[in-house]
Amino acid sequence: MGVILHREPELENPTLLACWPGIGNIGIIAFDTLKNEVEAEEFGEIEPWDYYYPSKVSIVDGVINDIEFPACKFYFKKMDGKDLLFFIGEEQPAEGRRTYAEGEKAYKMANLVLDVAEKFGCKKVYTSGAAVAPIHHTVKPRVWAVPNNKKLISEVRSYSNTILMSDIEERGGQGNITGLNGLLLGVAKKRNIDAICVMGEIPIYLQGFPFPYPKASWSILEVLSTALDIKIEMDAINSLIITHENDIEELYKRFPDDMREQLDKLKDVTYGKVAEPGPITEEDKKRILEDIDKFFGKGPTEG
Amino acid sequence: MWNEDVGRLGPAVTDYLVRALSGEEFAQIEPTYFFPLGGVAVDNDIAQFPESRFFCCEEKKLIVFRSNSPRSEWYRFLDTILEIGQHYCNVKQVFAIGGMIYMGPHTVPRQLLGVSNTKEMRQTLGHYNITCDLNYDTPQGQRPTLNSYLMWIAKRRSIPSASLWVPIPFYFVELDDPRAWIKVLQFLNTHINLGLDFAELDEYAKKLNERMAQLRQRSPDIESSIQKLESNIMLTQVESEQLASEVYQFLSE
Repeated sequence: MGVILHREPELENPTLLACWPGIGNIGIIAFDTLKNEVEAEEFGEIEPWDYYYPSKVSIVDGVINDIEFPACKFYFKKMDGKDLLFFIGEEQPAEGRRTYAEGEKAYKMANLVLDVAEKFGCKKVYTSGAAVAPIHHTVKPRVWAVPNNKKLISEVRSYSNTILMSDIEERGGQGNITGLNGLLLGVAKKRNIDAICVMGEIPIYLQGFPFPYPKASWSILEVLSTALDIKIEMDAINSLIITHENDIEELYKRFPDDMREQLDKLKDVTYGKVAEPGPITEEDKKRILEDIDKFFGKGPTEG
Repeated sequence: MWNEDVGRLGPAVTDYLVRALSGEEFAQIEPTYFFPLGGVAVDNDIAQFPESRFFCCEEKKLIVFRSNSPRSEWYRFLDTILEIGQHYCNVKQVFAIGGMIYMGPHTVPRQLLGVSNTKEMRQTLGHYNITCDLNYDTPQGQRPTLNSYLMWIAKRRSIPSASLWVPIPFYFVELDDPRAWIKVLQFLNTHINLGLDFAELDEYAKKLNERMAQLRQRSPDIESSIQKLESNIMLTQVESEQLASEVYQFLSE
């Protein structure tokens, strides 16, 4: 159970961006877009068979040709003092029917990723995921950021369009980040490595549908551009957004009229303390959120 | 072979081999790590528990493994099977047996399909009336079978291996299909020279055929559905469900 490194690049204090799939694949789309944008090169992988069931078998003329596993690979990019390491896991190493990784396997995988990161001198880690929020899909998603120590708070405050857990009403700075995108923050903390999880907001009514939400990935890329001090071309993510916006609009049209009427009110709801007061009253807002909870059975969550 | 197999193929073939060849249990894989152990399932009034047992039929130099399908740590589980076979028993070849759902009638002869992990094993299968020229890629959204995974690991261990598949009529999926069992056993009997006597199974298959003939006579709908299948006409979902349900009820009586 280990890591295979095909080569060992010389890197200068690289930042690690590690991600596994989650709701709307928001984080993984953002990191994968950035990885492709900077043309990062693959240099290693985690041996998959102890973590994953195979994803594909190929049989040619009655003989097993190959078996494929979900990929979990490392990439690097040298960038003049702003070197980057990427780890992209195609699946969370979940057992049974769970969607998100937890327990011994998840912990082992998180440690393997950080072993590689530390081997190459990494001092900072970003993970990414989704924040399920009472927002409308026509609104620009914000980014919820969770650092793993206090000294990173000021840095997070410097990001635009970004909020902390304590900025969200009634949360009091509390919350959970499910799966490896969260666990890696904790394992990094145990090793005294700075880490921040950046989560793009996805409308509460889209969280259960099996399509991506690249609009939130765009917001994450915007934050990463500041955090990593690099210019990111948004053409690829913009075209992805256009493709999926049509799907979302089609889906939205199929919602019952009364539901859509309620959801339309989310265009005016603001649930963060830092936002400007919206055009609807607090009482209206409470009722809208309660109605949406009835439809979809959940309040804001992240993971 | 896996207990959850369609047509009860895996458990029936293993039971038969162990009984006919006086096999003795010599090892088990502990369920920890591989099965959820939060209690027991109850099936037909009986508490169930996952089992993974090895039997040795010493005279015929045959090891039989029968197990529930593991629910986690698949690689470790399958590698353990092969480790016990290779390290303790010096096995030279591995056959994995499984049934697959077939949308045709029960009146056609059962076939045997084979997938190998080496070209040499494929050639061996070619000497027996086994279809072994399959080309296949796992479709999007599906996963490879445990038997394919087992063969891949066997290949890593340089153990020649094949998985043998018998298409089983969809309305026998939850019932016995002795003709499928016989098909597999006939291959093993010839290939490993087991000296099996099929009289008991032939008798059972004959009785089952007679029961099916009675059902066809009794129910015009069933007769019509099976005739359609025999003429290569696809059934509607309603017809398929009705056929499966009525056959199950009748043969379970």
